[in-house]
Amino acid sequence: MSKEEKGSITMWEKLGNIDYRWLYALSLVLMIIPILNPLGLPTIVSEPTKGFYNAIVDLPPGSVVAVSFQGSLALLDEQEAQFIATWKILFQHEMKVIFYSPESDGEIILNDHLGKIVKPEDYGRVYGVDYVRLGYAPLGEPGEAAFSTNIRGVFPTDIHGTALDQIPMMKDINDHTGIDLVIFQHTACTSVEWPIRQWVVPYNMKCITMTLGCCGPMAAPYYPKQILGFLSGSGMGTELEVLSGNPGPGAVMSDAKNFGVLGLLLFLVLGNLSYLGKRFGGKE
Amino acid sequence: MSFTRRELPTIILTACGVLMLLAFFTPFVAFTTIKGTLTAWTIVISATSTWLGFAYMSYAQYRMLQRNPVLTQKIYFVTPFAFFLLFLVVGVSFPGDVSSPQYLWLLSSIYQQVGATVYAVMFFTLASSAYRTFTVASTEAVALLLGGTIYMLRQIPLFPAFAPWLVPLGEWILLVPNVGGGRGAVICAALAALVVGIRTLWGREITMVEV
Repeated sequence: MSKEEKGSITMWEKLGNIDYRWLYALSLVLMIIPILNPLGLPTIVSEPTKGFYNAIVDLPPGSVVAVSFQGSLALLDEQEAQFIATWKILFQHEMKVIFYSPESDGEIILNDHLGKIVKPEDYGRVYGVDYVRLGYAPLGEPGEAAFSTNIRGVFPTDIHGTALDQIPMMKDINDHTGIDLVIFQHTACTSVEWPIRQWVVPYNMKCITMTLGCCGPMAAPYYPKQILGFLSGSGMGTELEVLSGNPGPGAVMSDAKNFGVLGLLLFLVLGNLSYLGKRFGGKE
Repeated sequence: MSFTRRELPTIILTACGVLMLLAFFTPFVAFTTIKGTLTAWTIVISATSTWLGFAYMSYAQYRMLQRNPVLTQKIYFVTPFAFFLLFLVVGVSFPGDVSSPQYLWLLSSIYQQVGATVYAVMFFTLASSAYRTFTVASTEAVALLLGGTIYMLRQIPLFPAFAPWLVPLGEWILLVPNVGGGRGAVICAALAALVVGIRTLWGREITMVEV
């Protein structure tokens, strides 16, 4: 091996062994830049987001929408744009909304959102008449099945302890027949199948879903037949903000991701250059 | 093996499974009512299993401490219980329980921040993993790299702003090859679940009872 070849191989090896902390530092810096100085790039709305939006706005005002909300505080940054835009659309289009939380975090997020950020009363919506919150129960998939057949069997009272029979909006609603659309929010990728198995297949319900960015490819096989649309990650949350004309926190998150991913791409290229260099740049 | 450990769980499983199938495939309201009741019971079982998880966690922590009784392990042992107690005591001590300002402060200042940090750290782990392993070592890896990169670029507004063709291409990858592969995987999993279901109904699926 010549001295030049030996040097070349060493360079490829060095390229493949860069300290990860440089990658971490670069990504961190790149993510901070757009947070301090937002880019405001144009957002192109994807088909699943349009499907999600249309599934809501195509319903006549007064339709009943059940929101199964498994929001996670830890993952809130990834999905908050979706949530806030969705609540706004629901109230703007005068839907009657039933919120219930199969995860305990969901109630805490809803307290914050409906209490401070998207107050239903600001849209002229009245608790008990236009929307109701049933609270938390550890449902899982069997719980979704139970809810679809007997709401009072799962939630005899609302979050304030009022019996459902005493809530005007809930008087004639006790199962899937009283619901026009299911919005299923989840953070575990395979959970997208829960509403399909428990709402769509048995009762032919209309359903849309909200999930994390990494779970979008798992939801796609069910679009547009079983689920009419889906949102995955803050990117699609931003798209919904743009589509519905409700600006929110999505733009900042998308900007941060914009630059953060640049670091990842750079290292992806370096890693492959190193691999190819070691494979083809070595001795004969 | 005793009747209570093998036959009884099998009988219960089979009965529940048959009732669920009858509720799905027959129009009788009685079966739908039974289905509603049984599925509501699972919520109670699910809530109870939280304590089962706590018991398992405690036992696992105790075993680890026994195996490695050093100061670091002692800190690891005490930490989860300290936070468990903190959240439990605050959650039941103040007016409003888990809606009290004190409990919400714990959630927003500790739980939410720790969770978000762990999730953020995943980005760095993902980035370094991609750097090490996302190499074009085979045809499959090239397909994965190209598909993943194009879809990732499409998801980030910066790139479609300069290359609008990424949008239809990224969506095509998401909604055509991904859907084809995904549906194939789902059908395979469904067939496997069907086999496990039939074996369970027949009492042949020993993993369901002998645990």
